[in-house]
Amino acid sequence: MSSQKKRNFKIEAFKHRVELDPNYADRTWRVLEHAIHEIYNHNASGLSFEELYRNAYNMVLHKYGEKLYTGLVNTMTGHLKEIARSIEAAQGGFFLEELNVKWGDHNKALQMIRDILMYMDRTFVHSSHKTPVHELGLNLWRDNIIRSSKIQTRLLDMLLDLVHRERTGEVINRGLMRNITKMLMDLGSSVYHEDFEKPFLEVSASFYSVESQQLIECCDCGEYLRKAERRLSEEIERVSHYLDVKSEVKITSVVEGEMIANHMQRLVHMENSGLVSMLVDDKYEDLSRMYNLFRRVPDGLSTIKDVLTSHLRETGKQLVSDPEKLKDPVDFVQNLLDEKDKYDKIISKAFNNDKTFQNALNSSFEYFINLNNRSPEFISLYVDDKLRKGLKGVSEEDVEVVLDKVMMLFRYLQEKDVFEKYYKQHLAKRLLSGKSVSDDTERSMIVKLKTECGYQFTSKLEGMFTDMKTSIDTMQGFYSNQYSEIGDGPTLGVQVLTTGSWPTQPSAPCNLPAEILVICEKFRTYYLGTHTGRRLTWQTNMGTADIKATFGKGQKHELNVSTYQMCILMLFNSVDRLTYGEIEQATEIPPSDLKRCLQSLACVKGKNVLRKEPMSKDIAEDDAFYFNDKFTSKFIKVKIGTVAAQKESEPEKQETRQRVEEDRKPQIEAAIVRIMKSRRVLDHNTIVTEVTSQLQSRFLPNPVVIKKRIESLIEREFLERDKADRKLYRYLA
Amino acid sequence: MDETSSRQRWEMEAELGEMDLDPEDLQPSVPLKRVPAGDLFEAARAGDLDRLRYLLDSGVNVNARDPWDSVALYYSCLAGHVDAARMLLEAGAICSERTFDGDRCHYAALNLRVRRLLKAFEARPPPLAPLPAALRDTFLACAANRRAYIEQCEAGAGSAACAAGYLPLSDGSTSSPFPPDITFYVDGKPIEAHRVILSARSPFFKKKFETDWKDRKEVRFSSQKLSYHALYSLIHFFYSDRLEVAVDDMEDLARTCRACKCDELQNILQKELVHQRYAEYKSLKDVDNSQKRFILQGLSLPEQDRLPFALHRILQVSLANSCGQNMDSVDRHEIQMSQPSNDLADVCIKVGRRIYRCHQVILASRSEYFRARLSRMTDFLDGNNELSSFTLPFLEEHDLSTEAFEKMIEYMYTDGLKDMDPDQAEEIFDAASRYLLFPLKRAVADVLLPHLELVSPAELCHWLILSDMYGVLKIREYCLDVIACNFETFADTREFRSMLLTLPPPSGDSSSRTTRPSAPGSTGNSDQGNLLDDLREKWLEAAAAELDKRDESAALFDKRLEVLMLVAEREANEVHSDPVERKHFDQASPKV
Repeated sequence: MSSQKKRNFKIEAFKHRVELDPNYADRTWRVLEHAIHEIYNHNASGLSFEELYRNAYNMVLHKYGEKLYTGLVNTMTGHLKEIARSIEAAQGGFFLEELNVKWGDHNKALQMIRDILMYMDRTFVHSSHKTPVHELGLNLWRDNIIRSSKIQTRLLDMLLDLVHRERTGEVINRGLMRNITKMLMDLGSSVYHEDFEKPFLEVSASFYSVESQQLIECCDCGEYLRKAERRLSEEIERVSHYLDVKSEVKITSVVEGEMIANHMQRLVHMENSGLVSMLVDDKYEDLSRMYNLFRRVPDGLSTIKDVLTSHLRETGKQLVSDPEKLKDPVDFVQNLLDEKDKYDKIISKAFNNDKTFQNALNSSFEYFINLNNRSPEFISLYVDDKLRKGLKGVSEEDVEVVLDKVMMLFRYLQEKDVFEKYYKQHLAKRLLSGKSVSDDTERSMIVKLKTECGYQFTSKLEGMFTDMKTSIDTMQGFYSNQYSEIGDGPTLGVQVLTTGSWPTQPSAPCNLPAEILVICEKFRTYYLGTHTGRRLTWQTNMGTADIKATFGKGQKHELNVSTYQMCILMLFNSVDRLTYGEIEQATEIPPSDLKRCLQSLACVKGKNVLRKEPMSKDIAEDDAFYFNDKFTSKFIKVKIGTVAAQKESEPEKQETRQRVEEDRKPQIEAAIVRIMKSRRVLDHNTIVTEVTSQLQSRFLPNPVVIKKRIESLIEREFLERDKADRKLYRYLA
Repeated sequence: MDETSSRQRWEMEAELGEMDLDPEDLQPSVPLKRVPAGDLFEAARAGDLDRLRYLLDSGVNVNARDPWDSVALYYSCLAGHVDAARMLLEAGAICSERTFDGDRCHYAALNLRVRRLLKAFEARPPPLAPLPAALRDTFLACAANRRAYIEQCEAGAGSAACAAGYLPLSDGSTSSPFPPDITFYVDGKPIEAHRVILSARSPFFKKKFETDWKDRKEVRFSSQKLSYHALYSLIHFFYSDRLEVAVDDMEDLARTCRACKCDELQNILQKELVHQRYAEYKSLKDVDNSQKRFILQGLSLPEQDRLPFALHRILQVSLANSCGQNMDSVDRHEIQMSQPSNDLADVCIKVGRRIYRCHQVILASRSEYFRARLSRMTDFLDGNNELSSFTLPFLEEHDLSTEAFEKMIEYMYTDGLKDMDPDQAEEIFDAASRYLLFPLKRAVADVLLPHLELVSPAELCHWLILSDMYGVLKIREYCLDVIACNFETFADTREFRSMLLTLPPPSGDSSSRTTRPSAPGSTGNSDQGNLLDDLREKWLEAAAAELDKRDESAALFDKRLEVLMLVAEREANEVHSDPVERKHFDQASPKV
């Protein structure tokens, strides 16, 4: 229609162009309807895009958009109904293929129709808020095909059946499956969810519920887990092949729920193959599988953790309370370390170094190590053993490793002050007897303790080292100063120990032989001459001596003995026979020590430089001792040890304990005062908790003891009870 | 004119409202003064909006620098003229913080309002005319280019700006984008492009496509001198008339421009390179050089170096090659074969009796109709009829005059309409609707409006009907305004009365009738609103009493309309009984 003509009509041109031909809309629509039919029948190549578009455009322009739109809906619905019939007619397995083919056709047709009706899509649909053509086509497909009564259930059954068949091991046409699920997704996520995913998940749940029930009856734990893992990866693979990505979480959670969460307790506690036996047998692979599977379900890891903890506590308890194992402290600690290593390895290899598991391990160790109150002593003994000899010929790094491990055990200790006590004793012994393997290792151990417990903890230990060093200097000074005067007499080595730093027991000094006494006096004058205002006390119970002895056949031996033993042996220089009483009188050695010394001199085979009458194992008050002429030994140097239990005897233990308790008292008091000084007024329970938390790094104070200390402080008027409320304490001063 | 521009403003403000601007930002800022004879810089500094609009409408380069290296936007930011700054930004002033000029504007911004305004515009797609915008979309729709673009966005900190600038066509309802016909590889990275565009913009590419690369699908550059980013920027510029390049790549780009014989661009780049050497960036001081960018709007180039001009040249060549009318298919065949293919046309369109050689990429970029049509060639009859023996694809468009088609493709190629006859307007409206070229309607309306001031009331009614039908808001508003203001004159016009009969009756619901159709919350789109309702509203605005008397006036108007319709009905009956008139109509019908 050319413009010139239109201009002649002005307004009427448009009015009449349509009204004149009342059939205009119907006629045009018939053309378009025909075209839609043709498109669905694959005959589009006979149609002119331009003409169809122009017709649709004109219809919309002349306000027939509504007619066009409803016409489109009706025609498309008609076609879809036909398609639905042909899909319904498809038999068996061809059903899905037919559906797939028809879906492809519909999609193609829909795109062509959309392009023809593009003008309507842009203007009419937009302004009258209708559904755009493409979406409309999808909605119609959904309502007429997917949700038609005859197809909906059949489609669903078919899909679920295929999945089931694949689960049971058959090979299915995954491409087809993929196309169908893709179609459901294209129709909108709600269609996919409602029409497929939901029932799919339900069916999967029941499938796995049955399967897991069967499996758990006939498989052991490891095998079951292997199967569960395989099922899980199968489902993930299935999702990647033909399901929506978002389904992965849902289906895996179904499998996890049915196969793992529901049987968790049973799996973990399974006889002979459950978690405990895996732990015992170090089955890293199975453990790691269990960890990875259980991690996926709620409470899964905590279940493992609980079993692990109780198992650890039980075995640990046996370990620390078994009297057999308590015999040798070194083995005892070594066992603990091995146990710790074993579980560390399990956690790092199988449990992904999970922090919560590490915490469980630590708390378990802390629990059972402190069950045995001798643990601090044993650990100190273990260190003692290692530092004495065990680490000879071991590289520095390995030493560090051993020490680090010990420190780990140390961390678990609640009574760190007890450990300190013992460590001090053992260190003193090592230092004084010169048995320590390496100064560096000793120092590194001290450094570790220092970083762990702070300066206070190790200040005395460090003082011991300083003393050792200054002693060497002092001795050098002594000899260079007095060399001329000493002459040929016995050589004296003095270690000057600061009181307080060392675990010395006040002991009555024994009577030293005259030769020794002379040089001791010389040293005393020398030392006091250089250091004024000090007091020297001889700790004869801690010294050693090397003495040369000639025996019956003229063979010479060098005897390495303690100071006490030396005193005893020196007595035999003048006589051959001495009774117990005589010795005791001459030396004034405390009876218990004396007995021990005599025992080691007379009763140890191969080292019996004295002979006792009557011959027996124990020393009695009325025994007599003779110089043993017939003593022989392959070695020139003979070391005569003291019969002293490495481990403390029962009374000694009691004593140490008592001393520890005594030491704790001022610490607790100091803590109470510190707290009260800052808080001024506090009730009893709060004080107890605060004190406990302050002292935790050293030991666990007993509430009863704390109460006693408070009472003592009240007596000494550091604190007072509140007049109104008796539970409150007030800080005085 | 005022009415429509204020409407545009309103839309713009609504849009800005979503962009982190406080309501206070929309208030006028500082007292303004007038500089009737000032240049762009003076107007920007004074905040003289009228002068500024006049200058911008007359086509000055909004991004030009004065002798002190400052741009107009800098002055209005410095002086705190929010409105002037917005006007400049809407006209395409560059405000990216990574450019020299933008950096200075941000730095100089007087207060937070100005700063927020700059930020808001930084986050918007760069304002482009319909043609560059359409071609840019086509360029970025190519997979490789889009990837590169997104990478570039992610690399830059201003990813929000880029992401907002281009949203990928993921909507299933749009047809697939137009595929590229040549791919360049630089450093192994691909850039996809279309021969026509490159040829139009650069003599170098034109020559290459005619000779060496005639049948190549891809070209691999291995020269060390050519950098991927430089070429990408250049080709992007070819499509969008907007150059954006990292300062580090500018030297490469200038070299590439020399090779491509884009002399003017090369000159500007080299000048800018000298300038950049001494430029100091305030906010990017501590950041590495790669962040610095240079942005050039097409407006900064002389007209013959801009995209519309280049495509205009191509169009002229194509039109010259297009065959004249009146020949049958055999002749057509021969002529097509014998013609030199120096215009790179890849599609023939037959309109009326003429055949036009056109370029698919431009048609497809500008019109969804052509995009769908070209991609559906094989599905329908059009693609495989007897004419398939032609070397070029062949389309036929009916119901369209050659003149209108020529105007339309002129607009598609150049974004401009030259020497349009108002008589053609109606047909071009039709074409614009049909080919979904909505911006064209606005262009036609602009040409048409001055003409409408001279037409008779009867003709104005005609235009009102037309504009309502084709949804040309500008014209519709204008007609309604004129009718409302001169209602009695129109009431006396017979054509107006008969028009009343053809219109759908006014909606009965008085509550919806008292709300403005364009106000938010009113149902329906304003372009589909009821004409009589809108007219009533306009009339009330122009002639009604204040507030409480308003309802009375409304009732009065409704009454008047009813009477007029009765008159019109009687007249219509008379007309129908008049045989002469009817004959008149019969002439029109056969063509339908």
